Amino acid sequence: MGRALIRPIVIMGAMYAFLKFVLPNIPGSAEIPASLIILYLLLTLSGIIIFETLSAESKDAFWGPMQRFLTGENIGGLQPLRYGILVLFPVLVGWQTYNATAPSDSPPAENRVIHPAPPGEYTGLANPVPKTPENIMQGKGFYAAFCSPCHGANFDGKGPAARGYNPPPANFADPTTIAMLQESYLFWRIKKGGVGLPIEGMPWKSAMPRWELELPDEWIWKIIMGEYDGAHQTPRTWE
Amino acid sequence: MNPEMLTKWLIRWGGTAAMIAVLTAGAGDGVAQESVAVRAALVTGTLPLDDPNAAAWNNAAPAVFPMSPQVHWPERIQQVTVQDLTVRALHDGTQIAVLLEYADPTEDPDDAAAIEFMVGDKKAHFAHGQPMLLVEGGPVNIWYWKSKDNKGVDLWAKGFGTLRPHEHQDVKAKGEYANGKWRVVFSRSLATDHPDEDAQITPGQFINIAFAVWDGRKDDAGQVIEKGSQKAVSSWWYFRAEPPPDYSGYVYAGVAAVLALGFQFVLIRKLKEGQSA
Ligand code: HEC
Repeated sequence: MGRALIRPIVIMGAMYAFLKFVLPNIPGSAEIPASLIILYLLLTLSGIIIFETLSAESKDAFWGPMQRFLTGENIGGLQPLRYGILVLFPVLVGWQTYNATAPSDSPPAENRVIHPAPPGEYTGLANPVPKTPENIMQGKGFYAAFCSPCHGANFDGKGPAARGYNPPPANFADPTTIAMLQESYLFWRIKKGGVGLPIEGMPWKSAMPRWELELPDEWIWKIIMGEYDGAHQTPRTWE
Repeated sequence: MNPEMLTKWLIRWGGTAAMIAVLTAGAGDGVAQESVAVRAALVTGTLPLDDPNAAAWNNAAPAVFPMSPQVHWPERIQQVTVQDLTVRALHDGTQIAVLLEYADPTEDPDDAAAIEFMVGDKKAHFAHGQPMLLVEGGPVNIWYWKSKDNKGVDLWAKGFGTLRPHEHQDVKAKGEYANGKWRVVFSRSLATDHPDEDAQITPGQFINIAFAVWDGRKDDAGQVIEKGSQKAVSSWWYFRAEPPPDYSGYVYAGVAAVLALGFQFVLIRKLKEGQSA
């Protein structure tokens, strides 16, 4: 038993040394990532294990046909398929390894959270401005003056200044923006703007202005009313 | 566990491990959102550091970015001349040259353009690195060019009102106007001795880049219309100096394929021995 263990250990050690110290020094190569070394060692190991443990007795209903297929004994018409698989398997392993290790050529993936959770003090605030036609009208006026260059006169996010901004200004007519949100959420977003977003909202990219520096709260509440009315949406209510 | 069961278990286990390897190997490919990047090709000849019309630029892939009138913070402007900016870049492993090209119907002394980068590891807001409320931001490095001076100015900012020129002016720039178009080339060494002031460009690494353009034309009263914060702007995009070609992926793939082949060979040989025994 002791001797039987020595050979695998030596082989594994040699393989590791080859991957770690020999291969990286071949011209055109580089340091091999740890995950890849593990994959190579795993393949080597499974080869060794099978080599060491497979015995003549290991035949049963599951294993028998597969064994015959792999060895190609009396499989007749299946022979081409066997060769196909024997060629395909190494090719597939090589291809996947290439994909996994080829240096990435694309910019970092960006998973911006569009609607991150608001700070606690901005949940459940009610709009203190009475919902009168005059207030809605006034809100729409402010919207036209301050918001429409980006969010569009039609509330569709296609204002004349929108094109260069990435992420684009929100489209309020789209049912997945303000219709899904509470008025208090909008109050937070309008007051604090893009720079008020938490890290998952990628604040450094947002062009949404921080309106608290320019507009009084009362105007913001009126704008919210005008925005919902103009976009033909209703705020999500408190559940 | 008897030998037969062990064998079965090993085959399944080996197969599963191989499959997991194969599946996870493919997982890195997905990109959630397409981003547009300027890619500076690596060239071996001389870089067109101060020649916006050099033939070498024909080999650089153009990236086009939409521009907006700056309406993010006061003073705003509702209309600007430049709607799109074409950007090309080249590097030679030491120096980088970036070419901005845009349509402008008139050549004016106050025409100007700028490139902005983040400095250091912290994210900076695209508007001059203005402070963010919940995230600690970093500064920005701005490379500025103005027609009447026709040279590069190396600037630094962290928030509005903090814009100042560097003590070390590392950036060169030169513009040429022809056929209703400006072509302005900016150049600098990839790395500088001042990593806390200057953007550092490492081949192979994506960094953020943004742009601004001022059309220096005047109104009837003789006032320049686009000036200061009243300009055409872009948000952050990506920039990368392309790394030297790396063939290690082929080597790894070859090793993996040979190992898989060896695995099959050993397996089949052993199976045949088992059958004939
Ligand atoms: C400079 C362009 C610009 C202006 C002007 C602007 N916004 Fe925005 N706004 C954006 C951008 C870009 C976004 C998307 C990024 C983000 O969420 O921060 C946005 C997002 C929003 C959102 C979040 C929507 C959602 O689904 O989460 C609200 C609400 C909003 N804006 C309201 C307004 C209001 C009200 C005004 C006027 C007072 C206004 N904006 C003016 C650019 C602008």
